Amino acid sequence: MAYLGDHDLFEMVNTMLKVRLFQDSPIPLQINLDCEPGSLHALVGPSGSGKTTILRMIAGLSSPPTGLIENDGAIWFSANQPSENNARLTAAQRPCGFLFQQYALFPHLNALQNITIALQNSGLGKSERISLAQEWLARAGIADLWNRFPHQLSGGQQQRVALTRALVRNPRALLLDEPFSAIDMPTRKGLYKILGELRREMRIPIILVTHDLREAELLADQITIIDNGISLQTAPPQTLFSKPRNSRVAELVGLNNLYFGHFDSGRLSWDGSNHIFSVIDKGKIPAGHAVNWVIPQGALSLHKVASATSFPVRITQISSIGQITSMHLQIEGSQHIVNWEASSAEVLRLSVELGSLAHLEIDEEKIHIMPIRSINDPRRFQG
Amino acid sequence: MLGTLRAINIRYTQGIINPYIPRTVIDSTPILLSLKLALWTLLLLLPLGILIAYHLTKLDRFKPWCEGLFALPLVLPPTVLGYYLLVGLSGKSILGHSLVFSFLGILIASLVVNLPFAIQPIQRAFEAINPNLLEAAQVSGLSNWQIFRLVQMPLAWSGVLSAAVLTFAHTLGEFGVVLMIGGAIPGETKTISIAIYDRVQTFDGATAGRLSLSLLIVSLIAIALSYGVLRRPRFIRDGQHHA
Repeated sequence: MAYLGDHDLFEMVNTMLKVRLFQDSPIPLQINLDCEPGSLHALVGPSGSGKTTILRMIAGLSSPPTGLIENDGAIWFSANQPSENNARLTAAQRPCGFLFQQYALFPHLNALQNITIALQNSGLGKSERISLAQEWLARAGIADLWNRFPHQLSGGQQQRVALTRALVRNPRALLLDEPFSAIDMPTRKGLYKILGELRREMRIPIILVTHDLREAELLADQITIIDNGISLQTAPPQTLFSKPRNSRVAELVGLNNLYFGHFDSGRLSWDGSNHIFSVIDKGKIPAGHAVNWVIPQGALSLHKVASATSFPVRITQISSIGQITSMHLQIEGSQHIVNWEASSAEVLRLSVELGSLAHLEIDEEKIHIMPIRSINDPRRFQG
Repeated sequence: MLGTLRAINIRYTQGIINPYIPRTVIDSTPILLSLKLALWTLLLLLPLGILIAYHLTKLDRFKPWCEGLFALPLVLPPTVLGYYLLVGLSGKSILGHSLVFSFLGILIASLVVNLPFAIQPIQRAFEAINPNLLEAAQVSGLSNWQIFRLVQMPLAWSGVLSAAVLTFAHTLGEFGVVLMIGGAIPGETKTISIAIYDRVQTFDGATAGRLSLSLLIVSLIAIALSYGVLRRPRFIRDGQHHA
């Protein structure tokens, strides 16, 4: 039998962070999350959707009436679960680090003391605590700021101290509550880099709450879209953008080319026009079923000359934001508008202007269709 | 009950119109007695005030009633408070004798009267601490006692200090309740404010003036000191939230 190294033994334990949360009030929650050690899982949703509540529940700062939180093989919280005994670790007992949006550093302590305070119950002696904290400050690149008080530090520096405080206890999970939203872009990039490095070294599940989809796309391995306390879809960023589960997800991830149609054995008819696309579906949608469908930006291209498969379109709006130009293209003979985004250079090359005619090519293979559920389904299109 | 009140009447008369104190020299006994009373009150009331204030901030349902109870001494006339204390303390205490007309009696009265002055600034200071900081302390693995000791107390110290000054200054100046409980026994219960009243009653304006001035100066020093120290460092303001 092959020798099982320490690493292999470690891998055999179920180290995943499992979160199941259910409640009706004050805000309804139906949450189902799994996060592997070493992976970063982003919770994205509009404000008030319950993202921060979820994070606080994982940390033990509040509790749902029903749920299960399990991490690294240990049960942190269990209430009203069929086979489990009810368990509730306090926030202090849960080995997890928490990063607050407003840093929440102790104003009466300097940077070093802000970190050693988290080692109070570590069993280490005072000098060991100090040297461990100094080591971590050096890792975060702020070793020389150890004796500054929080009000003497910039936002980015404060968040580095806070990150160090969260990690110095060697937590088994890291929870980030919009930690970068109050920090300017250049500083933020430095923090992303540190986070990336720590993530590789520490191999713990990391959950990031953010309302910034770009940030989530940049950092996360998995994104869960939260809306009204319900986890709508969990997927890697690219899947989420190309294959949203339903129209609400499509809307929340900012896909704006969202349409109604009917689907019948590989043929998608576009409601409000007589266009038919051949679209591949895995056979899950019954014949003649009403669907929402999206055209991802990657499926669109605009040309000056017509081709056999192109649509003639009229340009009804042009807006430029920096390097990106966004256009409204109205399909001739219908009311449908397609949003097209391209680099300003490409638009210049096409030399199109407001009101002029162009030809739009839609890559049928990239069209994504989503069945519309019953009227009462909260996930149906709400636009 | 009637007997007690009659006895009280006699003690008042004895104390207030006391012909044996020489009128020409200022008697420092009332000043020292007042300082002693103020210091004892401070020593006992501060820990109690911190304890009560800490628990008041955590209360939920009965908070207004509990807060109201501890604020009562602010609104009740000293006579009402004094009457209840008198009735409460006139029986035999565990020490075997009544606490009325004793230093211990006026100390108890002073503790009760000063409750709101000790509790309220400390409670305000606790409540001004940003709740995020307490949560940060929790997720840093600190126990409630550690959070209290390492986070809440250092951030609420200015409140504790104002409580101390208010209690001290207020005890020095307390008149009504102390008079009702203690009468005016020289060296035992005759505090400075009662001595001033006593001197005025006997038309000894000069002594009353000197005693008044000394009380005024001591009070001013206490309050000025506290204002000087209370000029809060910036970190205290940073730790507070303004809801």
